[in-house]
Amino acid sequence: MYFKGFSTDTNSLTVPGAQLIAQEGDTVRVTIVNTLGTSHSFKIDGVVDSGSIAGGQTKTVEFTVNNAGSYLYYDGLNAPYNRLVGLHGALAVMPSGSSNELYAGSPTFVQQYSWVINDIDPAWHDRIRRRRTPNTPFTPSYFTINGRSMRVPGHPDYGNPDIDSGYALDTRLEGSIGDRTLVRILNAGGCMHSVHFHANHVEWLARNGQPRADVWKKDTVLLPNNIGSLDVIYPFEVPPDSWPQAPTGMYPMHFHDEMTQTAGGGLYQFGIATTIAFK
Amino acid sequence: MFNIEKAIPMMGMGGGGGGGGGGGGTCYVYPDAPATPGLVTADVTYNRTAHMNGSMTMDDGTTVEMWGFSDGGGGGMGGGPFPSPAMRVTEGQVVHTVLTAGSMMQGTHTIHHHGIEPSTENDGVGHYSFDVNGTYTYQWKASHAGTYFYHCHTNTVLHAEMGMYGGLIIDPPEGPGTLHSGGPTYDVEAIWACDEIDSSWHNKNWNAGTCGGDEGFNSLNPDYFIITGVDGAQSALTNPGVAVTMNRGQKLLVRYICAGYLPQRINFGGLTATIHVSDGRVLPNPVQVTEIEASSAERYDCIFEPTEAGVYEVTCDFLDWVTGDVVGTARTRINVN
Repeated sequence: MYFKGFSTDTNSLTVPGAQLIAQEGDTVRVTIVNTLGTSHSFKIDGVVDSGSIAGGQTKTVEFTVNNAGSYLYYDGLNAPYNRLVGLHGALAVMPSGSSNELYAGSPTFVQQYSWVINDIDPAWHDRIRRRRTPNTPFTPSYFTINGRSMRVPGHPDYGNPDIDSGYALDTRLEGSIGDRTLVRILNAGGCMHSVHFHANHVEWLARNGQPRADVWKKDTVLLPNNIGSLDVIYPFEVPPDSWPQAPTGMYPMHFHDEMTQTAGGGLYQFGIATTIAFK
Repeated sequence: MFNIEKAIPMMGMGGGGGGGGGGGGTCYVYPDAPATPGLVTADVTYNRTAHMNGSMTMDDGTTVEMWGFSDGGGGGMGGGPFPSPAMRVTEGQVVHTVLTAGSMMQGTHTIHHHGIEPSTENDGVGHYSFDVNGTYTYQWKASHAGTYFYHCHTNTVLHAEMGMYGGLIIDPPEGPGTLHSGGPTYDVEAIWACDEIDSSWHNKNWNAGTCGGDEGFNSLNPDYFIITGVDGAQSALTNPGVAVTMNRGQKLLVRYICAGYLPQRINFGGLTATIHVSDGRVLPNPVQVTEIEASSAERYDCIFEPTEAGVYEVTCDFLDWVTGDVVGTARTRINVN
């Protein structure tokens, strides 16, 4: 299937683009080398917009990140098609002087992940490959988390961290009791989703970059589409309803709009999911 | 003890009872029925037998096949219930859910108690443990009062759509009538599990798609919109199991479960809800709303204290997951005397 991406070199295709991390007040410089024949841009809502970069051109943008939080960088041209076809990635901005908060004064964590979600409609990707505008309703049939989807026991790619989102290092949540984990969930795709965690409720800190007045403990949270986001902390507490108490085990995080758990219209379990491993 | 690394998927069962299944070869289903680790005597036990012979008759006269769990003895000649019978336990109780399932025709099933957080073996997710082929006793301890639901987690995209779910309530030690310890009391209670049905999915084999093949499970195009097993086109407006009748001065608890796959927006017809609990966790501060936008499997526990008599029409809109457009609506009523 056809994709475009923000890669760190000109010899590979990376979807999503590399995860960027900065601190409040940092000046960030990004150089975009457009190796394609079409115009593209580099945009972060409310932060920076490179404007159109013609095919074959190079442009450097410099910007200051002033607000801690989770951001999606993406190509704002030919919206939403360039974004959906793979030109997107995650930027995390840490609070000034802090290594364990989402925003100053937020609940704290000891490790963090960014999950970039996408929904893939093969017909749309094919039209974009042919430089045509999609002319059918958006009907995704593949669903990815950081560019991968789930494999299960018995499949030849099960356990392969390059393919299986249950084992990929940037998606699989691993921790021991007390390893509070921030997960930044960024939706590059076109569908609203329902994010469901097993074994622990999450502390829901923010949606669409807006810190919530009260932190609710939730097992399921709505993820808005088209650059919607959620920030949650998975606390890695002993699963509270386990009896006898079970401090170790493996569980899924999966989306509960179960269409996302399929690939090509079937193959339940081969969609947006990862493993939560209590070590 | 069960080891996911050594799990053996069911081989070569493409088709099963005919239809579905797709291309054959490996089906990613994990039949087993081990002993429950650390089994103790339960405070409360529910027996559930998977059935695939239920049905629901819609207001337009169409009958749609439904699956689910019955209390003990299977679906029987008259067909099994939809939704599945609710479970109701008390905080602190050790619970056993004894599931019997599994055959070539009826397939394997699990029970995942959504929002309940037990050990891996008792979480009911097939590919992390097993799909029940025989009888398995799920053991867990109810830690937090609130509203949950249980559903099958085998080939979930199909089995939950087919209706394999039921309500699950944890009462605080005070018992029914109190939402949570130290929280509000209530006089009248309703459980609204709002769900959408795509009848074109309701003629498939239990393992459809698990061996590959395009079953269309990426795209849900619902044609019926229901509340707790009652058609929301007309019937739910008056069905006594769904519509509420109460008096001024009484307090109503609505346990709202977003039981479908699409986002929902439920509007309470002019009444104000005070949300005290969501997903079985007490909110730091209750919030007052006139409508709620929810995503699949969220729950909200809402207290109503209407002061004026009237008929309040509750509308649950089901939203297209791409456009946000309303694709259907289920309706019920709160009648305040």
